[in-house]
Amino acid sequence: MVTAIRYHVSVAYFFAKLAVQRQLEYPLFLVSWFLMIPLQYISGVWVLKLMVEQFQALAGWTFPQLAFLYGLGLLSHGLSVIFFIQTWHIDNMVIRGDFDRMLLRPMNVFFQFVVNYVNFIGIIDLIPGFLIFFYGCAQVGFEWTLVNVLKLAAVVIGGMFIRASICTIMGSAAFWTKRSGSLISLTLATMERTTMYPLSVYPKVIQLALTFILPIGFISFYPATDFIGQEDGFTLPVGLAIWTPIVGIVTFAVSHFIFQSGLKRYESAGS
Amino acid sequence: MIELSNVVKEYTVIKKKSGLSGSIKSLFKPEKTIVRGVDGISFRIEKGEMVGYLGPNGAGKSTTIKMLTGILHPTSGTVRIGGISPQENRKSVVKQLGVVFGQRTQLYWDLRLGESFELLKRIYRIDEETYQSNLEMMYEVLGIDQLINTPVRQLSLGQRMKGDLAAAMLHSPSILFLDEPTIGLDVEAKQNIRSFIREMNAKRGTTIILTTHDLDDVEQLCKRLIVINHGKVVEDGPLSELILRMAPYRLLVLDLSEMPDPQTLHHHGAELIKQEGLKLTYRFHKSDISASELISGLSAKLSVVDLGVKEPDIEDMIREMYRSSSTA
Ligand SMILES: Nc1ncnc2c1ncn2[C@@H]1O[C@H](COP(=O)(O)OP(=O)(O)OP(=O)(O)O)[C@@H](O)[C@H]1O
Ligand SMILES: [Mg+2]
Repeated sequence: MVTAIRYHVSVAYFFAKLAVQRQLEYPLFLVSWFLMIPLQYISGVWVLKLMVEQFQALAGWTFPQLAFLYGLGLLSHGLSVIFFIQTWHIDNMVIRGDFDRMLLRPMNVFFQFVVNYVNFIGIIDLIPGFLIFFYGCAQVGFEWTLVNVLKLAAVVIGGMFIRASICTIMGSAAFWTKRSGSLISLTLATMERTTMYPLSVYPKVIQLALTFILPIGFISFYPATDFIGQEDGFTLPVGLAIWTPIVGIVTFAVSHFIFQSGLKRYESAGS
Repeated sequence: MIELSNVVKEYTVIKKKSGLSGSIKSLFKPEKTIVRGVDGISFRIEKGEMVGYLGPNGAGKSTTIKMLTGILHPTSGTVRIGGISPQENRKSVVKQLGVVFGQRTQLYWDLRLGESFELLKRIYRIDEETYQSNLEMMYEVLGIDQLINTPVRQLSLGQRMKGDLAAAMLHSPSILFLDEPTIGLDVEAKQNIRSFIREMNAKRGTTIILTTHDLDDVEQLCKRLIVINHGKVVEDGPLSELILRMAPYRLLVLDLSEMPDPQTLHHHGAELIKQEGLKLTYRFHKSDISASELISGLSAKLSVVDLGVKEPDIEDMIREMYRSSSTA
């Protein structure tokens, strides 16, 4: 068990190291990095300003609460861009036969797929998230106690896993349909919309769907209601924030299962 | 060792229709067709063999190799390597396999060759000593020590192929699958790769299964051939035996000093197939008459200045095999 963990960690670490190294080698990388940082910063501030001007209270949520909710969603979005961006391309990888190489290696394919790449550049995607979230925190008077910080970390990481799992499940459809399509972009767009506003603005059916079918509600809405004491529309057991990492683990396990079943139908590519 | 029995692989192909209405239609009601890539193949390969797996384009060679290496699941039939199914027990089977697809690299495009090797060292859990000695051997046989710090995308096709071969051997596999390892390479590089393959087979006893369209590869490397067409095995046997059976003729070419009398041209053991001025070509069966018998018989009647015996070649044999199996 210990050796198995050490083995997987050492491979993951080496992949990550190579990925970061590779990205740092591009001469344009640092330039674009330095250009992107202020751009991301400005876009974050600009979105905030827009929100202040246009978003007034919504479904009983005050503006600072909305900023908190939106910022929280952006944080897990940023993390998933760094660690799981490859899940956005599963469909293409299936069609192009890119899993051949991983199947030839004596290691779990899903694991190789997940650790295969770290999108180091994606770190800058976190900037607007941090800006909006910290603004929201300050405005709603978020208490930075140890418990809250731990809960927050669990929620953001859980949210990242939920996002990655949903993309993995949608992308794995290509194992059956044999085509890459707009399914993932549709999913990404849906996730963006539905983590931005309180779930309670949507009709009950959609709320239910986004809780039990595609558990997007757990990415930001339910934990935010818990952190800031808002109404959630449902009466789920207390400690809603705790549900996010649990749902994250469960959906990740489900996505792994679906991916593995798909892999049995994998047909590689003609040449 | 390697065993396939009645293996069938069907691919599902979705027909793309043209136009907007076509693509909308196929979105909701996709038209699926089934393509049989492999249609009931059985064979057995023992440890240490060096087998050429041949067949025309689209015959099902790559499909077979993908099933043997656990990439694809057969539609029906069983695949066993050392008694284990590469589909059910992928990890333990692929540990002992080295695989090179000449058409697609298994290396990481944007890593240096050496980094790809380091990565494999970790994935296969190769201990330092074995890793170094294998690397040493690859440097020696393939001469890739200069390339180790070059990103894979900057390698030429021949260099990349050598890199792929080295990568496939780092974990000392007992079986090596090579799907067109000499495709697109120059004469020199082909020779390098052939001697590498021979060396691995001779020194390490690595079992080698090789697909190729290069007849020199076949002649120089394969003791046994398995030939497939339309997803079925059409021939399986030792190279020399197949040549004898499929292309049993030898040719005798004679240069004469003067125009012969047409009466004297006949010989009971051979057939005159061509006469161009003073050059005569006879075709004869290896088993009917020996070359020396024929030569002495003919030179008694004709004024021979020069002669040559042409052995049946692999090209004739392969052409014959593909042709007869296509019409069957
Ligand atoms: N991924 C795939 N999806 C659909 N059909 C495929 C796929 N791979 C191969 N085929 C089909 O299966 C058949 C056998 O293909 P395969 O690649 O095994 O041939 P091959 O013997 O390797 O040919 P070549 O010498 O051209 O490499 C072909 O008709 C091919 O079109
Ligand atoms: Mg092929």
